[in-house]
Amino acid sequence: MSDHHKGDGSGVETFDARSPSRRRFLKTMGASSLAAATAPAWAQIAQAGQQQTEPVEPRDDGAPAEGEQQIRLTVNGVEHTLNVTPNAVLLDVLRDRLMLTGTKKGCDQGQCGACTLLVNDTAINSCLSLAVSHDGDRVTTIEGLSSGDELHPVQAAFWEHDAYQCGYCTSGQIMSAVAILNDDNIGSDDASVREAMSGNICRCGAYKNILAAVQDARGRMRGAS
Amino acid sequence: MSDSIIGAGPKRIDGQRKVTGEAPYAADHHPDNMAYGYGIFSTIARGTVTGLELDAARQSPGVIDIFHHGHFPELHRSPASMPQGNKVEETRLPFEDNHVHYEGQFVALVVADTFENARAAARKVVVSYQADDNAIANLDQGVKAHGTKKGGDNHERGDAAGSFDGAAHSIDVTYTTPVETHNPMEMHASVASWEGDRLTIYESSQGVVQQRGALSKIFGIPQEHIRVESPFIGSGFGSKLWMWPHAVAASAAARETGRPVQLVVPREQMFTTTGHRPETRQRMRLATDDSGRLVSLRHESINTTSFTDQYVETCGSVTKSLYSCPNLLVSHETTQVNRGTPTSMRAPGAAPGLFALESAIDEMAHEAGVDPLEFRLNNYADRDESQDLDFSSNHIREATQKAAEQFGWHDRNPEIGSMREGHEIIGYGMAACNWEAIKRECEARVSLRADGTAHVTCATQDIGTGTYTIVAQTVSDITGLPLEKITVRLGDTSYPAGPVSGGSWTTATTLPAVAAATREAIEELKGYATSKKGDFADVDSDSLTFENGQLTHDGQGVDYVDVLKGQRLASADGHAHTQGADDRYSYRSFGAHFVEVRWDPGISNLRVSRVVSAIDVGRVINSMTARNQVEGAIVMGLGMAHFEATDYDARNARPVNNNYAEYVVPVHADQPPEVDVILLDYPDLEFNEFGARGIGEIGITGMAAAVANAVYHATGKRIRDLPIFKEKLMENVPEVQSA
Amino acid sequence: MREFNYARADSTRQAVSTHGRNDQAAYLAGGTTLLDLVKIDIMRPEQVVDINRLDLGGIETLDDGRVRIGALVTNTALARDERIQRDYAVLSEALLSGATTQLRNKATTAGNVMQRVRCPYFRDGVSSCNKREPGSGCAAIEGHNRSVHAVLGTSEHCIATHPSDMCVAMAAIGATITVEGPDGRREIDFLDFHLLPNDTPEREHNLKPGELITHVTLAAPLENSRSGYLKLRDRASYQFALASSAVIVTLDGDTIVEARVALGGVGTKPWRAFDAEKALKGQQISEATFKRAAEIALQGATPYAHNAFKIPLGQQAIVRNLTTLTA
Repeated sequence: MSDHHKGDGSGVETFDARSPSRRRFLKTMGASSLAAATAPAWAQIAQAGQQQTEPVEPRDDGAPAEGEQQIRLTVNGVEHTLNVTPNAVLLDVLRDRLMLTGTKKGCDQGQCGACTLLVNDTAINSCLSLAVSHDGDRVTTIEGLSSGDELHPVQAAFWEHDAYQCGYCTSGQIMSAVAILNDDNIGSDDASVREAMSGNICRCGAYKNILAAVQDARGRMRGAS
Repeated sequence: MSDSIIGAGPKRIDGQRKVTGEAPYAADHHPDNMAYGYGIFSTIARGTVTGLELDAARQSPGVIDIFHHGHFPELHRSPASMPQGNKVEETRLPFEDNHVHYEGQFVALVVADTFENARAAARKVVVSYQADDNAIANLDQGVKAHGTKKGGDNHERGDAAGSFDGAAHSIDVTYTTPVETHNPMEMHASVASWEGDRLTIYESSQGVVQQRGALSKIFGIPQEHIRVESPFIGSGFGSKLWMWPHAVAASAAARETGRPVQLVVPREQMFTTTGHRPETRQRMRLATDDSGRLVSLRHESINTTSFTDQYVETCGSVTKSLYSCPNLLVSHETTQVNRGTPTSMRAPGAAPGLFALESAIDEMAHEAGVDPLEFRLNNYADRDESQDLDFSSNHIREATQKAAEQFGWHDRNPEIGSMREGHEIIGYGMAACNWEAIKRECEARVSLRADGTAHVTCATQDIGTGTYTIVAQTVSDITGLPLEKITVRLGDTSYPAGPVSGGSWTTATTLPAVAAATREAIEELKGYATSKKGDFADVDSDSLTFENGQLTHDGQGVDYVDVLKGQRLASADGHAHTQGADDRYSYRSFGAHFVEVRWDPGISNLRVSRVVSAIDVGRVINSMTARNQVEGAIVMGLGMAHFEATDYDARNARPVNNNYAEYVVPVHADQPPEVDVILLDYPDLEFNEFGARGIGEIGITGMAAAVANAVYHATGKRIRDLPIFKEKLMENVPEVQSA
Repeated sequence: MREFNYARADSTRQAVSTHGRNDQAAYLAGGTTLLDLVKIDIMRPEQVVDINRLDLGGIETLDDGRVRIGALVTNTALARDERIQRDYAVLSEALLSGATTQLRNKATTAGNVMQRVRCPYFRDGVSSCNKREPGSGCAAIEGHNRSVHAVLGTSEHCIATHPSDMCVAMAAIGATITVEGPDGRREIDFLDFHLLPNDTPEREHNLKPGELITHVTLAAPLENSRSGYLKLRDRASYQFALASSAVIVTLDGDTIVEARVALGGVGTKPWRAFDAEKALKGQQISEATFKRAAEIALQGATPYAHNAFKIPLGQQAIVRNLTTLTA
């Protein structure tokens, strides 16, 4: 069972790894699990970008072709040198070039939140961001949240509370939740969380469980930090 | 069968993949050398394409090819038969000719080396049209222009018309529901690759087997040459049951260009070319006797369909059997409009149908002077009068009473607008829920492997409902293996044929097949164990038992792994092929919603503040995922009641709010602070060995009516046309003459 | 998105010179409007000038009590600024009622001022739209015009609402927009910045070609005032206003000394209701007073087939906001 791996002990294989990105991800899991350092990645999400837990190899596109511009993007702690056309969108560059497909495209026009990720620790819609504008920026995607086999408390809480159905909006929900839980300006009461999370549509309607997960993760993060 | 794992609420076995972003959805696949497609869609609703200017697009960076009706391989139509396994809803092929039947129809497809280049080039394609000014924009226009066609699933008993006239109390009212759009979070997507004459396609699909069959017919190649994979889908709610034109376009483009092609349907076209719930108009005529017993019930509906295909929204499907009534008529008709072909959306027929029926029951109860709860209890059917069959299991009275009690229905002051708190007027409303229980034929394979794991395959899908997990629970229940040792693989046509994930039939259909295959595997294992070289060489295999991963006889147990290893065998395998439901009973699920709304007339704000629902779906296999299904359906039902409508310009049938900003679906902030779901959990063992009937759709049925009935209680306004926009409840809205 | 040239500016001067008077150029700040419209091919810039690295991200209180906001201050940062929360609650509330957490994190102050209409006939690229294609007509007037169409300030050529919440608050507060362009720097009164559609709906604002907004300076806060923003819509969040009100009042006992009222969701521009303010000043607080002011605010409104409810809804937004603030 080459692609069997565990989270908190109950992870099981449900299908084969097929996409190259996934194979690469899995190939590096063993090594990255060694990175279970003293402080888990989530406890210092502000520095998450610096954690060397990301399995993707640094990419260097070399000299840019005509019509392309060279940018440096630090994604989940790995610095990439990429050549992009000006009309390339951050979301598409992550998904199609770096094969970081955990960040989803739900509408491609800033109306659903599925593409939410952190740029310099701030949650944004990556579908409304030109990649070229982010030269030098630090990006954290869902793939950069867990530390090896150890899930971020928000990820663990989402799993625990069944805070999804189809799972497609989940990456965006989790990234928003991580940002919200690290933001003292957002109230901790249910209504404030609901309002702050309203940019992440869940068509399956798992809102009740998502709220429960976020509030549970709040406790877990507080307890651990 | 042990009760420990069936009915428990273990977290999902695929959950880690979802929370880490690893779960691969269709467009996450990037086969080597993949190219990207981007569609060009019609900007008229009816007419013909008269020209395509392609030069600028062809010269655009990275363009590989541009397909259109003048440049597309000749393909065949699918017979579109579900029993044959090749159903599609829209039978017309993309680029079949230059005719346009709806706005947002594929008229060209650019294939380029990158997504950016494909989209940029697509913007440069200039299409000219001859628009037909007679585009039919809505149901009223359709009926006026072309009348209606008979639909199916009609029913008549007694003399509904005769018993209506002269009855003690009666109502004659018409309800309408607008087009609703599924809008799953994941846009439809295909990634198609050919190797010689073999096609592999990753698809966001609720039915890989049907898609394979359709592709086989369309491309004229054997099914064995096609593999459709859909291990994870960003839900579908019906829109992904049957293949839509984009998958044909992507497959053809991949074959023609010799490269894998990814094609994602943009969000705007998720409103046009991938189905929708059609518009309906439903006339309800009900009558009771003096005591408030129904004596006549007529439910006559018309729904819109496309000019290419006939789709019937069976609004009266529930009406036939939910209430006892000797004189009943249910009829369905369609009318053609210039919209894409409609399709099943969560609880097709029942969702709009129960808005009408359960609103009408509320109106009828008021007319008869009976509390709506009492009215229902007095009139619920005890057997299915439409089929003259007993229900296999029906606990609707208990569901209604339990939910009423928990909700506090009896504390309600029935007087309109009488319950207030601060600025808000509180309204209580209720409605029944109902959905047919269906079980189809299914195959599954289970291997008990020498490494101590079990491996299950079935070509059904997990669309977010938790199928992976309940399949593992089933195997665990029979074998005693922990979930961690059970591998489940779904959503791939290379596995034994499984059902479309729809109709709430996946649980009842798949689990018996998985259970039978597991037992087959155990039988095979027993055969090995009792063979000459086996651990139980002299034992009759029937006297062996299998528990907790051990074969046992007379107190002597051997781990099944040792049985296999002892004979250097890799696995013991079972394959099962189970059949659909019989017709001994009427199999249905039941329930009731109780809803509290709050209307603030000072700012014209309506919100749903509390929901209590009791649901009778037979045995619950996974309490956590089951509850999630009902809670999610309540949210979607709230959207249906309150916000959702795809609007079309009446002048030209152009969709005007085809995006996620203006087609309003509930967000986190709309979640009612209190939603309580009671799962009755009475096993329906007449239906299948697990007693489970399925739970995906029932939660949305009746929800819109419960909200509308609560709104009536709060405001005195009977809203018969969804959605319940605030202006329908406001006073002093100036009259404007519509142009 | 079609191809375009991209240049990142390091200074305002450089931004302005790169842009020049080129009407095919566009400044890129948060991108939440521009990239959306470029993606759907409604805007087709040949040159994008990225101004995100300019030093326009500060908020400062000037000697005269006004507050100067840099063009690139995000909606989130502005809403959370202590001075804004303390002295301009209406602005903070308006910002937080708009869009979503993620969009507010990107969207900038200048970008919000430059937000474009949500009219589906503008956005679909094919319907008649005088804003997109002057002279082609307005499909909205006799089309579907419920949620993002106005009842105030409309013309026979355009009825789209200005979608911003922030601008409604700024219209009530009073502000000056500072721009820098090929001809140098100038200031524009906030209420003169957005243009009514009249005969030229394609002209949405008072910027000359190549001009860049560098700052928005808020009028000094009204002393002892209370202010608030009330937004009414269908769903509870993440939707443009069907009607909204920004209200600032100062009271002397039960007497209204000063009142500022602006409306959103109902006007073709952020709508300052001066006549309603006059009807409030000097009056005792009462429901009747508020209702009268609200009626005056919507006087002359033109309802269309699907949005007539915005007239009473706009009135309600004013009455409830005043009621809450004076309670």
